[in-house]
Amino acid sequence: MTDLIQVFEYQFFRHALAAAVLTSVLAAMAGTYIVSRRIVFIGGGITHASFGGIGLAYYLGMNPFAGAAVFGILTALGIEWISQKGKIREDSAIAMLWSFGMALGIIFVFITPGYTPNLMSFLFGSILSVGRVDLQLMLAFSLVVILLFVVFFRPVLSTAFDPEFAKTKGIPVARFRYLMSVVIAISIVLSIRTVGIILVLSMFTIPQITAMLFTRNFARIIPVAALWGITGSVAGLMAAYLLDIPAAAAIIFMLTIQFLIIKGVFITLNNLRRKGARRR
Amino acid sequence: MNKPLVILEKMSTGYFSETVLKEVDLEIFPDDFIGVIGPNGGGKTTLIKAILGLQRLFSGKISFPRGRPNTGYLPQASQIDRGFPITVKELVSAGLKSSNPLFPHLSPKQRRKLNAMLEEAGLAGLAGKPIGELSGGQLQKALLCRALIDDPQLLILDEPNTHVDKQFEQELYGWLGALNKKMAIMLVSHDIGTISPIVKTIACVNGTLHYHPSNQLSEEVLKVYNCPVDVIAHGPIPHRVLKSHHHD
Repeated sequence: MTDLIQVFEYQFFRHALAAAVLTSVLAAMAGTYIVSRRIVFIGGGITHASFGGIGLAYYLGMNPFAGAAVFGILTALGIEWISQKGKIREDSAIAMLWSFGMALGIIFVFITPGYTPNLMSFLFGSILSVGRVDLQLMLAFSLVVILLFVVFFRPVLSTAFDPEFAKTKGIPVARFRYLMSVVIAISIVLSIRTVGIILVLSMFTIPQITAMLFTRNFARIIPVAALWGITGSVAGLMAAYLLDIPAAAAIIFMLTIQFLIIKGVFITLNNLRRKGARRR
Repeated sequence: MNKPLVILEKMSTGYFSETVLKEVDLEIFPDDFIGVIGPNGGGKTTLIKAILGLQRLFSGKISFPRGRPNTGYLPQASQIDRGFPITVKELVSAGLKSSNPLFPHLSPKQRRKLNAMLEEAGLAGLAGKPIGELSGGQLQKALLCRALIDDPQLLILDEPNTHVDKQFEQELYGWLGALNKKMAIMLVSHDIGTISPIVKTIACVNGTLHYHPSNQLSEEVLKVYNCPVDVIAHGPIPHRVLKSHHHD
């Protein structure tokens, strides 16, 4: 137990905790939109395509996350454009961008002379090395997205739910969909820093499906998902420290276990209620 | 003078390079109640989407002599994702336009109107419920409220009788009759037998449009004009044929 208290004295651990909380908040907002619109696969495409940007940035000697952001945003806008034009099969186009980005990333990293960057930190995140600037960026972007959701909640919800109807009411549907694509892309790229490419999508989906056990109200899913994201990721960080296992994997493990336990409680309660009703 | 709300002139439209509707002519007047019938894939939904401005036109034009009308649209049930986490109140409120695009929230007046509408439709008790928990009839009622809440001049309904029971369907047709005193209505249905007693005129859509300025179609007429209908008949009522009603 003293172990657990001691660890808070380390700055890296306090940073990691803050990163877990901020990632949970960001993922709660973008993730609720993704899950509600059933476009998780698009999130996967953006995530993996951004690896191409990481590789290119490395090759050019730039900040890899700036590269990831550029690739992520371009992929997101490209997918939204394809889906609005509807000329190409959207799912196949996403799969192409998904693997093309990964391929580009691997090629660039391979041909970069000198030292090979630590690929593992991008694939699985490096929450224990998150710095002050990373946190400030995440905090600033979280605030921007919160403001966006508060001000434009009605058109965002309306264009996500029934874009054609929204269009008949004069809402600039295409503009909102592109805007949300950019929000999703930046949220994903910022979260890659903490949980990595392979695991990032679970931060955008597991807290949401957990929250949807409690409420089916879009505006309420967001804070509830943020809450479950925070409890799961903090528990994961603790477990990572105590058992000396990779942090991102521990976080996803805890998020999943948390979902299964809550789901189990719900099923049991329902069964009990049904039995009670039969007895009466 | 009775100016039309909407005029379609030689309008052709479709998807990508495939033409679904060819050279459609139609005038919609403020007191019209048009039944749009035709087979699946004949272009009924494409026609109403074109009128709503959701379709790119290949040729021809759509004009609005009285200015672009305020429309109320009730889409096909298949277009609605019932698993989407949206409440009944949020769904209906989507029908209200925001006056300030930079702060698109409801005004106090609009909020009162929304509550009154939900009350009137008997949906007040369900206002906070997600749409996934509604019955087919309740969902259609909510969608109808969304279409009506902004006081449209033209109400367009695409197969509103899917997934609802007969009793609700009859209730719905009763409401539509009353609403037609205030607005033009286009009602899409594959079932002419049911809608024919309530509509004033009929548009047959099957690749193009044949307009029948009556709600009765005789069998001969349907045969001659290749109107794709199975059941018709409400007695031997004379049927006037339009000049524009050619067939190749």
